[in-house]
Amino acid sequence: MNYLKSSIGRKQLMGLTGLIWSGFVLSHMLGNLLIFAGSDAYNKYSYALTSNPLLYLAEAGLVVTLLAHVFYGLKLKFENVEARQTRYAMPTNGEKAARFQSKWMAFHGSLILVFIIYHLITFKYGPGVEAGYVTTVDGVQMRDLHRLIVDVFQSPAYVFGYVLCMIGVGFHLSHGFYSAFASLGFYHPKYSDWLSKLGYVYAVVVAAGFISQPLYVYLFAEAR
Amino acid sequence: MGGASQSTIDLKLKVWRQKDAATGGRFEDYDATGISTDASFLEMLDVVNQRLIKGGEDPIAFDHDCREGICGSCSMVINGNPHGPERSTATCQLHMRKFNDGDTIVVEPFRANAFPVIKDLSVDRTSFDEIIAVGGYVSVNTGNAPDANALPVPKVDADQAFNAAACIGCGACVAACANGSAMLFVGAKVGHLALLPQGRSEHNERVLAMMDKMQELGFGNCSNTGACAVACPKDISFENIVRMNREYAKASIKKRT
Amino acid sequence: MAILDGKVPPGSIEEKWTNHKFNMKLVNPSNKRKFTLIVVGTGLAGSSAAATLAELGYNVKVFCIHESPRRAHSIAAQGGINAAKNYQNDGDSVHRLFYDTVKGGDFRAREANVHRLAEISPNIIDQCVAQGVPFAREYGGTLSNRSFGGAQVSRTFYARGQTGQQLLIGAYQAMMRQVEAGGVQLYTRREMLELVVIDGAARGIVTRNLRTGEIESHAGDGVILATGGYGNVFYLSTNAKQSNATAIWRAHKKGAYFGNPCFTQIHPTCIPVSGDYQSKLTLMSESLRNDGRVWVPKSKGDKRSPEQISDDERDYYLERVYPSFGNLAPRDVSSRQAKFRVDEGRGVGPSGQAVYLDFRDAIKRLGEHVVSERYGNLFQMYEKITGENPYKVPMRIYPASHYTMGGLWVDYNLMSNLPGLHVLGEANFSDHGANRLGASALMQGLSDGYFVIPYTIGHYLASAALPKITTDHEAFKATRSDVEARVAKLMSIKGSCTADDIHKELGHIMWEYVGMSRNSDGLKLAIEKIGKVKERFWNDLRVPGEATGTVNEELEKAGRVADFIELGELMARDALHRDESCGGHFREEYQTPDNEAQRDDANFCYVAGWEWKGDARPQELHKESLTFENVKLATRSYK
Repeated sequence: MNYLKSSIGRKQLMGLTGLIWSGFVLSHMLGNLLIFAGSDAYNKYSYALTSNPLLYLAEAGLVVTLLAHVFYGLKLKFENVEARQTRYAMPTNGEKAARFQSKWMAFHGSLILVFIIYHLITFKYGPGVEAGYVTTVDGVQMRDLHRLIVDVFQSPAYVFGYVLCMIGVGFHLSHGFYSAFASLGFYHPKYSDWLSKLGYVYAVVVAAGFISQPLYVYLFAEAR
Repeated sequence: MGGASQSTIDLKLKVWRQKDAATGGRFEDYDATGISTDASFLEMLDVVNQRLIKGGEDPIAFDHDCREGICGSCSMVINGNPHGPERSTATCQLHMRKFNDGDTIVVEPFRANAFPVIKDLSVDRTSFDEIIAVGGYVSVNTGNAPDANALPVPKVDADQAFNAAACIGCGACVAACANGSAMLFVGAKVGHLALLPQGRSEHNERVLAMMDKMQELGFGNCSNTGACAVACPKDISFENIVRMNREYAKASIKKRT
Repeated sequence: MAILDGKVPPGSIEEKWTNHKFNMKLVNPSNKRKFTLIVVGTGLAGSSAAATLAELGYNVKVFCIHESPRRAHSIAAQGGINAAKNYQNDGDSVHRLFYDTVKGGDFRAREANVHRLAEISPNIIDQCVAQGVPFAREYGGTLSNRSFGGAQVSRTFYARGQTGQQLLIGAYQAMMRQVEAGGVQLYTRREMLELVVIDGAARGIVTRNLRTGEIESHAGDGVILATGGYGNVFYLSTNAKQSNATAIWRAHKKGAYFGNPCFTQIHPTCIPVSGDYQSKLTLMSESLRNDGRVWVPKSKGDKRSPEQISDDERDYYLERVYPSFGNLAPRDVSSRQAKFRVDEGRGVGPSGQAVYLDFRDAIKRLGEHVVSERYGNLFQMYEKITGENPYKVPMRIYPASHYTMGGLWVDYNLMSNLPGLHVLGEANFSDHGANRLGASALMQGLSDGYFVIPYTIGHYLASAALPKITTDHEAFKATRSDVEARVAKLMSIKGSCTADDIHKELGHIMWEYVGMSRNSDGLKLAIEKIGKVKERFWNDLRVPGEATGTVNEELEKAGRVADFIELGELMARDALHRDESCGGHFREEYQTPDNEAQRDDANFCYVAGWEWKGDARPQELHKESLTFENVKLATRSYK
C-alpha cells in the first residue's frame, strides 16, 4: 500500500505537520510578546519578517503543511467515525477513562482552522499602509501593525473569541505534541512520561502567551 | 461448600439484546437477585440465564470458555468499560465483590465495525485471525529448527517479547478505541516477533502486510489516545503501537516495490 | 474379547522410531495435494498437525468450535513443557525422561510410545523457539528450566505461567500461515457431531455450524481428532466450559475403542469450590510447588488463621511422607494426600475442603520480587478469584479434575482401530498411562502434531485403498439425517431442567463415586444413578430457542451433556472392572498399609479398550497387554 494512503503513513504526516506548526505557533507567540516591549519594537519585528524574501518560502511551507494536516485530519476522522458507528451507553470511566483531549482533536482542530482564516483576514490581509496604518521607526516607513492590534482588541467580543480559540490551541497541543512524537515512533519508558508532561507545559505556555496579548491590550492599551 | 466471604447482593442489569447481525437490538432490564459476591461476572450471568430459561425466555448469549482470563473469548462492555471497571482483568476474572448491592449494571457488546454483533453480547472477531494470517508468524516449517540454544536471546529482549506476546486477542483494545482501531493488537504481534532475532528476518514484510490488512478490514486509525492499553486485560503496553509506527516507516522506506 | 495390537515396531526401544520412520511408506510430494485430511480441534495437537501437514502439501480442513482457533483450551496450560535437553547438566537424558514418564504413569502406558515422546521432546523446543515462542531465559541468553512433579531433574521449559498460551500461539500462527498459503481451510464455530465411516474407514465428519445451526458434511481421506479430554464429565473441572467429549464419543459409537476411560487426573493444586453458582475451577500451576510448601494444621478442626499457627503445629505432610520428592510428589499422590488430610478433619478454610500452599519461606529466602517474577500472574489470578493476597496469606488449594489420561485407543501410529481415524493429544489414551506428569501434556500434544502424525498418516494414505468419495455418498446422507434427528429430539423434549442442571447432577455423582478414590459398591451405585440421570435427561430436558438461524448455546450444551452421561457410565464400568489401584485410579480395596496405590500387574497390566455394542448392551472389553522390557515393573515410590 502507498505510504500516504496507509493508516500509519497518514498519521505520521499528521504528526510531522503538527510538529512544524507547533514550532511555528511557539515562535509566533514569542513575537507577539513584543507587545510588552512597546509599539516600535513590535512594528520593527513585524517589518523585519514581512520584508524578508524568505518569508514567502516559509509561508508556502506553512500553507502546505496546514492543508495536509487539515485534509488528512478530516479524512482520518471520517474513517474513524465509519469504523465505530455505534456509541456505548456510557463513556469509559474510572481507571479506564480515555485521555480527555484526545477525543476532541477534530473539534478544536476545526475551531483553530476557522480562527486561522479569520485571523489572516483581520491582520495579514487587513488594513495596512494604504489605509493609514503607517509609522516610521528609525527612519524607515512601515505598517503600524501595533495600532491595528490595539484597535482590533478594543472589542470585548473579539477578545473573548480570540481567547477561546487560543484555549482551543492549548488543548490541541496538549494532546498533539505528545501524540506527534508517538506517531513518529518515539517512545521510551524512561522519557515518554516526561515528554507527555512537556506537551502539557508546551500547550499551556503557548496558549497563555497568545492570550496575554489581547488581554494586555484590552486592559491596558488605549486606541489612538 | 463455603468460600472466603459469604454475602449476596441484588443487582439490576440493562443488557443489550440482539437476535442476530441483521436485526437491530435494544437494552432489556433484568433483576439479578441473591448473587454471591464470590461469583464471577460470568457466573452471575449464568445464574440470570438459568432463571431466564426456566421462565421460558431466551438466555443472554455471550462468549466465554476458559474462564481464567487466558482464552480471550469473553468480551462485553460493562458500565462503559470493556471487561468492566478493573484494570488488568478480563470479564471472566471480574468478581461480584467489586459491585455494591443495588447497583445498576449496563452490559453491551464490544462495538466496532470490524466486530459485527453475532447475537446479544457475542461479536465476530475473526478479523483478528485474518490479520495474523498475512504475517503474524515466523515462516519456519516444522523440522527446520536449529538447536534452541544456538541463538542466545538477551533476557531483557525475551521478557519484552513475552510482554507483547501475552496478548489474548480478546479485542478489548478495539472496543475501547474511539476509532475502532486494532493498532494495539497488531502492534503487540509485530512487537513480539520484532524483539526476537527469530522474527527479524521477515520483519519489514510483516509489519507492512499486517497493517495493510488491518486497514482493509475496516478498523479505524490510531489517534494515540491510549484507551486501548488501559482497557487491555493483559497490560499490553502502548509502546507496542509506537514501536510499530517506527518500524512501519522504516519498512516503507526499505520496501523495494 | 479380542486382543488389541498396538503395532509396536520391532527392535530395541532406542531404535524403534528411527527404524519405523524408515520402514513406513511415503507419499510422493506431488501426490500429497490429492489427499484431503480433516483435523478436528485446534489446540496444540490439532494446530501443529494442521500446520505441518499443510506444509508437507496435503489439503487440510480444520474445524474448531471456537470463533478463533487460538481459543482452544491448550491456551490455559500454565506451568511448562518437558524436554530431555539436559541444558542444566543435571543428569537428564532421553532415557531418564522415558523412565520418569513410564514410572509416573504407574506402568500403564505403552513403553514404545513413551520412548518416542522422550526422543522427540528436544525437537519440540527447537521448533517452538524458531517460531518465536518467548520462553524464559537466563541473563546469558540461554533457555531457563524449572522442576515439575515426579522428576528430580530440571527439564521443564516455560514462559512465565503462560506456557500453553505461548506454545499454542506458535502453533496457531504456523497454521494461520498455511491458511493464507491455501493449504489449510479453516472452519470456525463448527462442532463435529458425527464421524462418517465408509467401508470400515473414517472418511468424513458431519458438523453443526454453531452460528447458523446448519448441518454440514465434509469428506476426506483421513480424519484426525485432536479434541482434547473429557474432564468436564465432573462438571466442575479446570477445563474450559466448552471442552467436551462429543467428537471422541461419537467416534466411539461408530466403532472406535475407548481406552482406559477411568484414568482421570485430579490435579492437587486448584482453587477450592466456593459456592453452588461455581462454573469451573481454576488451576494453580504445579510449578508453584517448586517454592510453595503444602501443609495443614496438626490438630483437627484448627480454625485459627494460618499466621497464628506456629511451625511445630503445622504438618508439612508431603515433605514428611515423601522426603525425597517432598512437595514435588506426583499429582495423583499429592491429590490423595490432600484428600486424606481433609477427610481426617484437618482441612482449612471456611469449607474445610482445602489445604494450604504457603510461600512464606520462599519469600523469606528469595525475596518477594523473585517470587513475583516466577509466579506473578498466578498470584494475581488467585487474588482476583479469592480476594486474598497470597504474598501475605497462604493459598488455599484443593484437588480438582484436570486431565484425562484415557481417551480413544490408538496404535503406535496414533490410528484407532477404525482405519483412517487418527487421534492426537489428550483425546487419545496413549502416553501417560494411569497418571500424567506435570508439563507432559504440552509435550505430547506437540509431539503428536508436529512430529508423529505427519509421518504415520503418510504411511496410512500410501498403504490404504482410498476410492474417491464425495458428500453425496449414501453414508453421508444417512449420517447427516441421524444428526438432524438427534438435534430435533433434543429440541422436542421441552421439559423443565436445563442442561446445566443435569450436568451438575452428573458431576456430583462422578466426583463422589468415580473421583479421587473409588470402591466397588460406590461404582455400582454410580452406574445406577447415572442411569437415572440419563432417563431424566431424555424426558425432562429443556432447550430454549430454535435449532437454526441463530446461536443456541443451550442446544450445544445439551448434546455434550448427553454424551458425558454415557461416557460417565463407561468410566464407572471401567473403574469397577479394574480391580487394582494405579496412578489416578485409586480403588480403596487395593492399597498398601501406608495408603499407597497397590497395582496388580499379574491381572491388570493391560490397556482396556472398550467397544460400543449399541444402546441396549454394555460395551465389550478388549485388552492390549503391556510389556515392560526397559523399565522394570516396580512399585512406585517417591519416599
